[in-house]
Amino acid sequence: MGSFVVQRLSQTLFVVLAAALTCFVLMRYVGDPVNNMVGQAASLADREAMRRNLGLDDPVILQFLRFLRDIVTGDLGISYRFGVPVSKLLLDRLPATLELSICAMLVAACLGLPLGVWTALHRRSALSQVLLVLSLVGVALPTFIIGIVLILIFSVWLGWLPSFGRGAIVPLGPHWTTGLLTVSGLKALVLPSITLGLFQMTLIMRLVRAEMLEVLRTDYIRFARARGLPMRTINYDHALRNTLIPVITIVGLQFGNIFAFSIIVETVFQWPGLGLLVIQSIQFADVPLLASYLVLIALGFALINLTVDILYAAIDPRVRAGLTVSRAGS
Amino acid sequence: MTAVPDIERPPGWFESDLLHDFLRSPVAVAAACVCLVLLALALGADFIAPYNTNDPASANVIDARLPPGSVGMMGGHFLLGTDPQGRDMLSAIIYGLRASLIVGISSVLLAAAVGITLGLFCGYFGGIADVIIMRVADVQLSFPTILIALLIDGVTRTVVERATHDMLAVPVLVIAIAASYWVQYARTVRGLVLVERDKEYVLAAKVTGVAPLRILATHIQPNIMGPVLVIATINLALAILAEATLSFLGVGVPPTKPSLGSLVRIGNEFLFSGDWWISIFPGAMLVSLSLSVSLLGDWLRDALDPKLRDAW
Repeated sequence: MGSFVVQRLSQTLFVVLAAALTCFVLMRYVGDPVNNMVGQAASLADREAMRRNLGLDDPVILQFLRFLRDIVTGDLGISYRFGVPVSKLLLDRLPATLELSICAMLVAACLGLPLGVWTALHRRSALSQVLLVLSLVGVALPTFIIGIVLILIFSVWLGWLPSFGRGAIVPLGPHWTTGLLTVSGLKALVLPSITLGLFQMTLIMRLVRAEMLEVLRTDYIRFARARGLPMRTINYDHALRNTLIPVITIVGLQFGNIFAFSIIVETVFQWPGLGLLVIQSIQFADVPLLASYLVLIALGFALINLTVDILYAAIDPRVRAGLTVSRAGS
Repeated sequence: MTAVPDIERPPGWFESDLLHDFLRSPVAVAAACVCLVLLALALGADFIAPYNTNDPASANVIDARLPPGSVGMMGGHFLLGTDPQGRDMLSAIIYGLRASLIVGISSVLLAAAVGITLGLFCGYFGGIADVIIMRVADVQLSFPTILIALLIDGVTRTVVERATHDMLAVPVLVIAIAASYWVQYARTVRGLVLVERDKEYVLAAKVTGVAPLRILATHIQPNIMGPVLVIATINLALAILAEATLSFLGVGVPPTKPSLGSLVRIGNEFLFSGDWWISIFPGAMLVSLSLSVSLLGDWLRDALDPKLRDAW
């Protein structure tokens, strides 16, 4: 187990370093940092002095190490577009994205799980066939189309729910603002979280159904039936429990995907989160912000994958011994 | 001349199980019909579309945002209404369909070319290159497509100037999408090559002194194309969606040559004025395209190899 963890850790470290290197190259070589700072009138000597002061004359390795130190200490540079520290911008936007992502995951899990169980238990009923076809359509529907249709129906035509923004937000501690405590904040959350959660819901539903069907075929379920246990106990106590292990890991992995898809949802609903910030920064070529986001995302994904891998290995000894094919392929 | 000995030939297309299977699946036939119609629309856009929306002269701002079925000031008929610049929606959708298909198909081809090549080499030769490439593939697989494409596009935008970028937009988009899909081909092909490598026909070729590259290209490659075709079809649907999503986010094709995604983006701004047709019609077209292609892919997967069902 120890060597497995070390191996995965080194891989994670490698990914994060590669992302950091990309960002470093971007920040260092796209445009001239000195030109971005000094005025037109600065003399050549001034520029040289500035170059020396900024440490741009040092060996590249040293500059890269300094860049890493800055990242670790939370100094991500100044945004070209806003003129404020990137770390502050990202921290300001993080709560909105996290709240949206968690709500979407809740929507997906709370609907997907029961639907998956139901369609597995009532395989032949007409309703589960309909649900399966609908879930196939749900996969083919792009997220932004779902969002637009929901806005059209519930905001434009019916006028029930707001279509943009977070509603009223209240501060919760020094770094956190929440929309979960006001009526307008909750109302604003409904459409975006459904839009973001819908794809994940169909995924969870199909996954739970497939796993459940698999488990229901196993011997211990057959024997439980033979023992005359009530169906309710067999289905929910024996079968569902064993279904949940792989489902939970996949759901954990999907959290990264939700984070990525939140970029789309935030654009559709003008949700003031990280995704909207990044999309706008791409259009403005705001290099420091983009680079920091890249490092942050790489770090986030690497950590999620690391956690899932280690959890997998803890649950399943075959993974540790390298006997099974990599999880990513399934 | 002696008669050619009667060798057992593989069955032709018309007697194949594939065609039989196809005709028995109503979903597949319907999906194929929709695909064909859409493909014909895209190919014949210049003849079918009532107006040429790529030509700025065809738009008249007086006719902007007319609802479906209206007649314009200049006497134009607009079956699906007009967009904010007075362009005919029906024509814009047909040309947009073409743009979306071009980007989708090119990125699938690029991803397949790169992925198959790398997969063949990794599988056949192995070694340190194999380990490194497959590690990169593993890592990349854990990042969502949209994110990879977005970052590639964002980085390009910061590196090149705006005017150059508009010109480069479509190739960059194709590369960005292909960059996240090559992994599937590489992994699948590598796995298949590992199986084929030790089969007798390959060993026979080796013994007779056929060069390794020739073995890969003419012996192994034709034998592994079935699963590759399945991946390509399913990827086409995904690539079309990825293109549409990126264009919707405003980082895809430039607004002068609209694709389905950028049409939806334009329409999104006018949703609140009640002008639903500007975004809903291109959206519906996009969904029918991606749905029919992915249904076709699903059928192909089941028909060619039921075992692949679990690989996805």
